[in-house]
Amino acid sequence: MAEEGTQQSRGPAGPPQRPRREGGPPGGGPRRGKRQYFRKKKVCRFCVEKVDFIDYKKVEMLQPFVQDRGKILPRRMTGTCSKHQRWLGVAIKRARNIALLSFAGVS
Amino acid sequence: MEERLYDLIFICRPDTPEEEINKIIATLEQAAAERGGKVDKTEKWGTRKLAYRVAKQREGFYVYLVLRSTQGEMIKELERRLKVADPVIKYLTVRLDEEIKRQQKLVKRRERRSARRPRKSAGGAEQSAAAS
Repeated sequence: MAEEGTQQSRGPAGPPQRPRREGGPPGGGPRRGKRQYFRKKKVCRFCVEKVDFIDYKKVEMLQPFVQDRGKILPRRMTGTCSKHQRWLGVAIKRARNIALLSFAGVS
Repeated sequence: MEERLYDLIFICRPDTPEEEINKIIATLEQAAAERGGKVDKTEKWGTRKLAYRVAKQREGFYVYLVLRSTQGEMIKELERRLKVADPVIKYLTVRLDEEIKRQQKLVKRRERRSARRPRKSAGGAEQSAAAS
């Protein structure tokens, strides 16, 4: 009976840690210490819809990936995959050039 | 040189009369035709709000053209004309054929994949697309 307690040692308990990204700043960002929590797995919206081409002319499609002031939202916020984030960046920059979206900082 | 596809958008001042805009479009079409190009599509989006001020304007009349040409010189000439035209406050040309080619390649690959594995077509194609 006492053995049972010892057998179930504190092994790999707790939620899985976030995978560390390579190429980040050496100091790392503000790490959340012991407060860990589960978060919903984000899925790339463009992969779900199988988008092969992100059109810079469709502003309403680009709008959710841009902050109010015009900054492009990072991947960790939107869950976009790297391929689509790359296309998205190009599309947003094109839209900015023709005044469909604002540049960051311009109100 | 193979044929290339371009998007051309230009913005006019909102107070430009409609005839003048039509005139600009006509001159562009003519200039394109002279240099072996062709206008595939012309769309007038009408007056829209600009995301930022351009030439002290907050609104602009958008015109959208799709062009195809085998000569890059055509774009140079069209952009020169847009620069000279007074009512035009902004323009943008984007070459699109390479992206469309890439898109078609992806579509073809997905079709091939789903044909090979009809049972789990949706999941398999999506995953591999995300991984690549």
